[in-house]
Amino acid sequence: MADEIVSAIQLIQRTATQDREAFSRLYDRFSSLVFTLAMRMLRGRDDAEDLLQEVFIQVWRQAANYSQERGSPEAWIVNIARSRAIDKLRSIRRMEKSFTLTDDPGRAESAESVESNVAQSEAKLTMNSALANLPEAQRRVLELAYFDGLSQTEIADRIKEPLGTVKTRMRSGIQRLRDMLGTRAA
Amino acid sequence: MATEHTHWTEQSEIHALGALDGAERRDFEAHLAAGCAVCESYLRETRETLNLLHRSLEPIAPAAAVKSRIFEQIEKENLAPIGAVRVKTPRRWQRITGTIAAGLVGLVLGGIYYRAHYEPRHTLYSSVIELLRDPTTRDHTLYGAGPTPQAKGRFLWNESGEGHIFASNLPAAPEGKMYAVWTIAQSSAPRYVGTIKTDAKGQGGLHIKSPHSDKPIETFAVTLEPVGTTAAPTGPMVLVSKPS
Repeated sequence: MADEIVSAIQLIQRTATQDREAFSRLYDRFSSLVFTLAMRMLRGRDDAEDLLQEVFIQVWRQAANYSQERGSPEAWIVNIARSRAIDKLRSIRRMEKSFTLTDDPGRAESAESVESNVAQSEAKLTMNSALANLPEAQRRVLELAYFDGLSQTEIADRIKEPLGTVKTRMRSGIQRLRDMLGTRAA
Repeated sequence: MATEHTHWTEQSEIHALGALDGAERRDFEAHLAAGCAVCESYLRETRETLNLLHRSLEPIAPAAAVKSRIFEQIEKENLAPIGAVRVKTPRRWQRITGTIAAGLVGLVLGGIYYRAHYEPRHTLYSSVIELLRDPTTRDHTLYGAGPTPQAKGRFLWNESGEGHIFASNLPAAPEGKMYAVWTIAQSSAPRYVGTIKTDAKGQGGLHIKSPHSDKPIETFAVTLEPVGTTAAPTGPMVLVSKPS
């Protein structure tokens, strides 16, 4: 694992010197991971491919800014992807909200169910290992935050539970993930 | 027993998820910006843990065309990595020998760098996190005293003898002097547990592994001492766990 991390670090360092071959290998290594995450978050192939392109252009541009002290290459790239995806999701929600208020009060709920259907039919994602092993209540809050980009307050509102309950479930879920990794996370 | 820092480490978990909002987010980001190394490392570790979430998804391969589009965009818009310097393309033999040499140098330097820089830091972060996870670890606030009333600090301490001290606003020790760290058990002489150095910003930290003490430690202190003083404190106290 340490060798893999060091190798990915070297690819990023070489990318920072305009080494296209290193960048190509970096893409081959992480593109599927970013695309899968993008599909889960944005729920559409076109949007996910756009996001993938944006993420790797940013990686190309900002490779010199990467610092291993802040995390592994995977965590760095995923963080870029999630930040961009969350910006897009929030932008979409703002638009939907605006549209709903001026057009059809019942649209918010229907839009949500459409989202859900799209997620199930188009993304065709299946869960295994870590997520599947979390209790439903913990898994739900982690998914709403991590994949749907909702804040703790928005999650409390969505699942109609007190904010304190949401926080507790998040922390318990993260603790369970830590347990799965062992007593000490890598 | 909950430590004073529990609140922040809990916030760092929610922040790593991207779910912290409102005033809580502003407060936590201000706390991070103040240079909290504990939260910084906890945040980093939580992000690595959260990698499990996206790894749990069934992988989907993107269309091959996306990679082509990325390279086309780079060429078309003449995008260069920020800070990169354009270099002339070397001849083929230069490229080959250069690649081999660079590879060897890279392997050696990468290994050296990883062992010398990344590995110790990672080990240190992990040690601090382990310390925080232990419910018996206590978090003591340190107050500035004597010549450095503006200094601040925290002392994480576990009665097993392991601890970590953080100092801030503590100017670097003058030439020939050092900051000695002491633990003081009930009715016992101060025990020297290490020397803390601070940087240009007045920040410093030290991980401590000392022998277990039969008596619980009551006071933690840092004194300004002539270099080499480890038997007993002789100089002024600059940080102490109990305000005077």
